Amino acid sequence: MLRRFAISFCLALVCACAWARTRPHYGGTLHVETAGDPWQRSDGLARRLVLDGLTALDANGLVSPALAVEWTSDANDHRWQFRLRQSVHFHDGSPLNSTAVVMALNTACAANCPWTAVRAVGSTVVFTSDSPMPDLPALLAGNAYLIALTRTADGQTPANPIGTGPFQFASLTNGTLTLTANDSCWQGRPFVDEIVITGNRPIREQWLDLGAGRADIAEVPPQDVRQAQQQHLSVVVSPPVELLALQVSDSGALSNAVLRAAIAQGVDRSALSNVIFQKQGEITASLLPQSLTGYAFLFPTDRDLSKAVELRGGLTAPPLVMSADGDGTMQLAAQRIALNLHEAGFNVRVTNLLSSNRPDMTLEKLPLVGGDSAAALETLLRSAGENVPVAGQNPTALYRAERDFLDLKTLVPLLDLPRAWALGSRVRDVRLRADGTPDLAGASLEGTQ
Amino acid sequence: MKPSKRMCLLVILGAALVRPLLAAPPSPWEKPAADLADQIAAILGPGQAHLTIRNLSTISNDEIPLIRRLLSEDLKTRGVAMAGAESANTIRVTLSQDWLDGLWVAEIGEGSTTQVAMVRAGLVHGASSDAGVKQPIALRKQIFWSENVATPPLSLPQFGTDSVLAVAETNSGLVVVTDEGVMTYALSFQTWSFQKRFPFAERSSVPRDARAIAIPAADGGSFTVFAAGLACAGSYTLPTDAAAMPRDGWAFRCHASDDPWPIAADASGAPQLKAFYNSARDYFTGVVSPSVGVDLPPFYAAALIPRSSGNAALLIGGSDGKVQLAENNALKIVSGTRDWGSDFAVLHSGCGAGVQVIASSSGEAASDSLRAYELPALEAVPASAPLAMEGTVTALWSAPDGKSVLAVVRNAANEYEVDRVTALCN
Repeated sequence: MLRRFAISFCLALVCACAWARTRPHYGGTLHVETAGDPWQRSDGLARRLVLDGLTALDANGLVSPALAVEWTSDANDHRWQFRLRQSVHFHDGSPLNSTAVVMALNTACAANCPWTAVRAVGSTVVFTSDSPMPDLPALLAGNAYLIALTRTADGQTPANPIGTGPFQFASLTNGTLTLTANDSCWQGRPFVDEIVITGNRPIREQWLDLGAGRADIAEVPPQDVRQAQQQHLSVVVSPPVELLALQVSDSGALSNAVLRAAIAQGVDRSALSNVIFQKQGEITASLLPQSLTGYAFLFPTDRDLSKAVELRGGLTAPPLVMSADGDGTMQLAAQRIALNLHEAGFNVRVTNLLSSNRPDMTLEKLPLVGGDSAAALETLLRSAGENVPVAGQNPTALYRAERDFLDLKTLVPLLDLPRAWALGSRVRDVRLRADGTPDLAGASLEGTQ
Repeated sequence: MKPSKRMCLLVILGAALVRPLLAAPPSPWEKPAADLADQIAAILGPGQAHLTIRNLSTISNDEIPLIRRLLSEDLKTRGVAMAGAESANTIRVTLSQDWLDGLWVAEIGEGSTTQVAMVRAGLVHGASSDAGVKQPIALRKQIFWSENVATPPLSLPQFGTDSVLAVAETNSGLVVVTDEGVMTYALSFQTWSFQKRFPFAERSSVPRDARAIAIPAADGGSFTVFAAGLACAGSYTLPTDAAAMPRDGWAFRCHASDDPWPIAADASGAPQLKAFYNSARDYFTGVVSPSVGVDLPPFYAAALIPRSSGNAALLIGGSDGKVQLAENNALKIVSGTRDWGSDFAVLHSGCGAGVQVIASSSGEAASDSLRAYELPALEAVPASAPLAMEGTVTALWSAPDGKSVLAVVRNAANEYEVDRVTALCN
């Protein structure tokens, strides 16, 4: 029952699990290097190693049990009840219970939760909401709702993150995070004894360390996949897990929807894909990828400069500010888009995200979670700051929801991007999660025991 | 009526009566075509339109003419006649697919406006063929149990996604051991129908690469199960209470145990060799009972191999990747095992040397496979062509009679099946 999305995902897994028939070995220290902060970034891979959610997404993006073993909702999805797994303990030995889960969830999302209230009822956690929450089980699998202990047994706030995951926080020294195996993890003890994650490491240095055996796993940005392969690195590439999109403010200089439509028409996605992202991104004008919905081709991706000029008409927008979220590649992409828009008659200045208070446009990457397309759409829109519940799996309804939202021209989808990782020769059984990060709890090292 | 006319009428009548009997099974495309035609006709109304079809799905292009014909006929019966490219109305149908299934999308153009209609459609995949290679021994596999036909499916939310670890066949049915517990099945109309589930009681955790063995008693009336940290016994007794269901006759009980697991048995089913299992890991510690006269390293798999001297040697697949033979109080490396994975089992085929070792592949090839080997000395000699398995072999053991081996296979969709592998003498 695998479909194209799942098939491409599994191809990635097959590449990564070449020795699946030889049983994994226990022991050893896995050295991982990343360009960002492995803990602070919302998609930082360390969080998933230390913390678990009530639910999880399996490799195909389908919701599966995690700290909750079952869940039910009332007829209208206004109330959900999640029953917790028994005999699960936090890393400090305190038991996982519904009170701890409720405190963790309230801390995680504070006033921006998708539910109205959450409360502990026996060994269950009950969510209620004024509006239906049809995709709550899938939403709870997201990084934003991972369960961390907020109060220790003596009432103190933990100094370091304490979760129930396969690894526990050991130390953070000079940007190097050390995690040790949780022997009593409810999912089973991980194979490696320790993971050392060095954050904020430039990509080229990561690759040098990989070649020298100082690192076992290194990041490969999408635009560098081809180069990594040319350097004979063993690269595993996920299916599209991020949407590169231009968020356009509907207030200020671009409050006129016609101007926003002109901007959407003026962006040259092909140039972004071919030049900036080295053909590693899939050009898109839809929120969700074709592999997930089957209807993405209905959204035309071609640039129409004359249409953009026509839409802009005699309107002269004041100088616009575009900020870019992320690394130098994002800045380059933003510069390219500014050039496109200049050809359409817009004057755009690119700034760093931190240096701009209220930019007119923001180039950013939004998470694409595979599997349940309705939940994926809701997760994506939430990441873009939109609170739009998406009901049901009916493709026609989903298409209309996407179409209606995109007609506002506040978000211009550009490219679907994968995530990629280079693996050292002694690493095996690395699988990629639905969000494209490696599941290091299942990884093992050759030559250890 | 003339005789010729009467004959003609009889032929037509006969054909009309016989036709339903000879008719091909309904095409899987009939319903989606009719549903899509309904939506298109509702949007377009009676008239003419130009129909184009493109295929973005895994549906074979050979199917497109049939789909076009079905759509054209369905549209025609709903008042939409097919027209040439010059028509002002266009129907552009795209055979697509999403993460769940097939999706047919129609873009209906009327002048400058375009409307969209969608219907779900199944996807039909071709069957793959398995060509064998002539070898001294030919391995054959037969599906013994499959998650696809099991009810309920393994992946019930309340139980998590179970991994199948072992199975045992008893007189009363089949016992399937997963990392979460034991499920029993009874044979009903040649398929295994689910009877009862016995979860392993409140284990705080299970190893990531969980393993277990299930052994039916020699008389087939009961069974034992060994899993990490557990020893269990089960049986079936026909309920005497008239109100009880047949499935109520199953009993199963576990207790915490570090007892050694029986890893080899004689013809009567009595254990010949037991090995201590490291319940926090995925291997045997190397301590076996009775002793084989030499210290063994930690190992994943072991099998007793009959030798020409009349004695038996112990073959082990070490956790260090070495395959070694413990014989005459010495441990010697077996060559020719570079392609072996971590699992093997002994098959008393009666072919060739009479006994072969069936080993899983190391995984260096694209697909997983099993292959028979003979060990005339300290070298593993291939005795069959590799038998392709449709997934990853996650466990392998000898059937109680030794004449077949059973393999647990996990496919790309994470579904499990158990295959019985036998040898044919060529």
